[in-house]
Amino acid sequence: MEAIVDLIGVGVSLGGRPVLRDIDLSLASGEVLGVVGPNGSGKTTLIRTLATLTSIDVGHGSVLGAPLAGNQLREVRRRIGLIGHQPSLIQELTLNENLAHVAKLSGLDPGRALRALEIVGLEDAADRRADACSFGMRRRAEIARLLLTKPDLLLLDEASSGLDDAANGLIRALMGSTTGRGGGVVMVSHDAAMITELTETVLSIESGRLGAAR
Amino acid sequence: MTRVRLLMSAAAIAVALGLWFALTAPPDRLQGEYSRLINIHVPSLWLAFLAFAVTAFGSVLWLVRKSHRWDRLAAASAEVGVLFTGIGLFTGMVWGQAVWGTPWDWQDPRLMSTAVMFFVYLGYLALRNAIDDPLVRARRSAILGVVAVVQVPLVYFSVNMFRTLHQTQSFRPDGSTMPREMVVAMLINLAAFTVLYVALMAARLEMARLEDAASPQVGLAGDAVRPPRLSEVEDV
Amino acid sequence: MSFWGQALEIARVDLTVERRLGDTMRIVLPFAVVALIVIPLALGSQRSIVQAIATGVFWALGVLFGMQVALRQSAADTPERRDLQALLGVDPAARFVGRVISGSILMTAFLLVLALAMALFYAPRLSAGGWGALALSTLLLGVGLSELGTVAGEVTTGLRSRTALASLIVAPLALPLIVGASQSVEALERDTGILPWILLLVASDLALAVIGVALAKPLEEATR
Repeated sequence: MEAIVDLIGVGVSLGGRPVLRDIDLSLASGEVLGVVGPNGSGKTTLIRTLATLTSIDVGHGSVLGAPLAGNQLREVRRRIGLIGHQPSLIQELTLNENLAHVAKLSGLDPGRALRALEIVGLEDAADRRADACSFGMRRRAEIARLLLTKPDLLLLDEASSGLDDAANGLIRALMGSTTGRGGGVVMVSHDAAMITELTETVLSIESGRLGAAR
Repeated sequence: MTRVRLLMSAAAIAVALGLWFALTAPPDRLQGEYSRLINIHVPSLWLAFLAFAVTAFGSVLWLVRKSHRWDRLAAASAEVGVLFTGIGLFTGMVWGQAVWGTPWDWQDPRLMSTAVMFFVYLGYLALRNAIDDPLVRARRSAILGVVAVVQVPLVYFSVNMFRTLHQTQSFRPDGSTMPREMVVAMLINLAAFTVLYVALMAARLEMARLEDAASPQVGLAGDAVRPPRLSEVEDV
Repeated sequence: MSFWGQALEIARVDLTVERRLGDTMRIVLPFAVVALIVIPLALGSQRSIVQAIATGVFWALGVLFGMQVALRQSAADTPERRDLQALLGVDPAARFVGRVISGSILMTAFLLVLALAMALFYAPRLSAGGWGALALSTLLLGVGLSELGTVAGEVTTGLRSRTALASLIVAPLALPLIVGASQSVEALERDTGILPWILLLVASDLALAVIGVALAKPLEEATR
């Protein structure tokens, strides 16, 4: 089976500054990879590179079989799910409307949005506007979004921050669901203990380079 | 640098020659001495449109090739273009006041297109100035460059249509009353200003190249973050 | 989802957000009407002058304030939302078209209400055909301004001075739209043929649409 992610000698610069250097990373089907590193080490840039949202400057690689320098990225992006620092909900829409919008753009039945919100425990807040929800609620809604779209590559950037135990349980369930379908998960955080608890393989990132976890 | 010096010298000689012809040719019998301004006004407008075309060309090529030199070309041409557009507009207004009795003719499509181009250039340079990331700057200004090259001809066309429906208010002397020597002087100045454009572009591109080469070695983005000094927390 | 499906869904959500926020109708429009009232006061408010400048003032204010309407969508966009749209495989051209559709609807509504205010305060002497030409030109101007505003909003995303900068970019490039719109009304009143001006507006709108769609991908990359 092809690797979910395969990066060789990848370097990324942002604003003229190098952020990632000599990144060699591979992720197999069903694998959960954790990357731990301090602030400014390049964790978010690594996640965005894997999400194909940031272009590489050096090296080569592929994500879900599509070369990073190629033209097939738009097709592949549909199979990538990302939880970033900030929720990506449209503030003026309700949680249900946000998920229905995602469902429609993904070619899915918008009626499934409410079911996804039920699973994450937000059925009573489904008609509440996103800007009237707490950070934790918006984060749960994002998890619901990913339960809906069922990505093959799940990327989590400090996804557990601000979440209670129940919501963290949802993150674990989401990861399990992804690997169970043959997908892969990459999780980055500064919290080494949490990463070690939730992932199988742990790497460290410092000054833009990946290394074995200490 | 030698090439730039040679071009600048050639430009200085060409412009001096052009000015000499402009000052020694007999003036237009209707416009008088003010007709000599045409030797700066027309070449400046010619250069403004040339510079604009080069900016558009550089923008398209950057979008296709993604090479930094096309972005540098587009930016340098925009800077030189702003200068000559401003000179063209100013000399046009002085000439207009003297000859037409008004500094501005709303029905002149060339004047209106030039004025629009001036502000489009200013917007282009302001956009570049507001962006620090070189790749983002190149990409966004290239997009604006391409949009502008589509819209500015429409500006000319729309004002031209406007003029054909509205009778021109004042008598406007045209080139047919200019003595032959003045026409020759204007053509020489057109050539001289073109040499000047090439020289200024060469100088500006050389400056950009030297600026890029002299840029300090940029450190890793995360190197600015150090471990906190927890034991010194009470010492603040 | 098909190209047009994506475009219409993006337009639908944009209009829903606008309906809930109400910036255009509750803030920009009243501001434009205040400007409409201030101008005659500055000119001496002689009836004949006010009537003569009515449609000209309308077009000028329509474009200047309309720019703020056109730019408000990209102002509400967040980097996270743009990333999500990219990850959902939204075609950048569909995103551009969707933005233009919602912007055009909003712009047309804004301009029509402003036109009504102009009619009330300035009482211009326009024939029924003149009002019809004004309505048609308003629609075409709205589309063009929405296209320019979408592009300008995207190239200035995330910049500190984006509102002023985007307005500086839009204003000079909107000249063919202003000339086309204003002259179509005048042409009808003078009985000199409205078609060339309508064609100018259509040509401008089409050129901007083609350019916007062609540059949609680099435009999307430029905002990430």
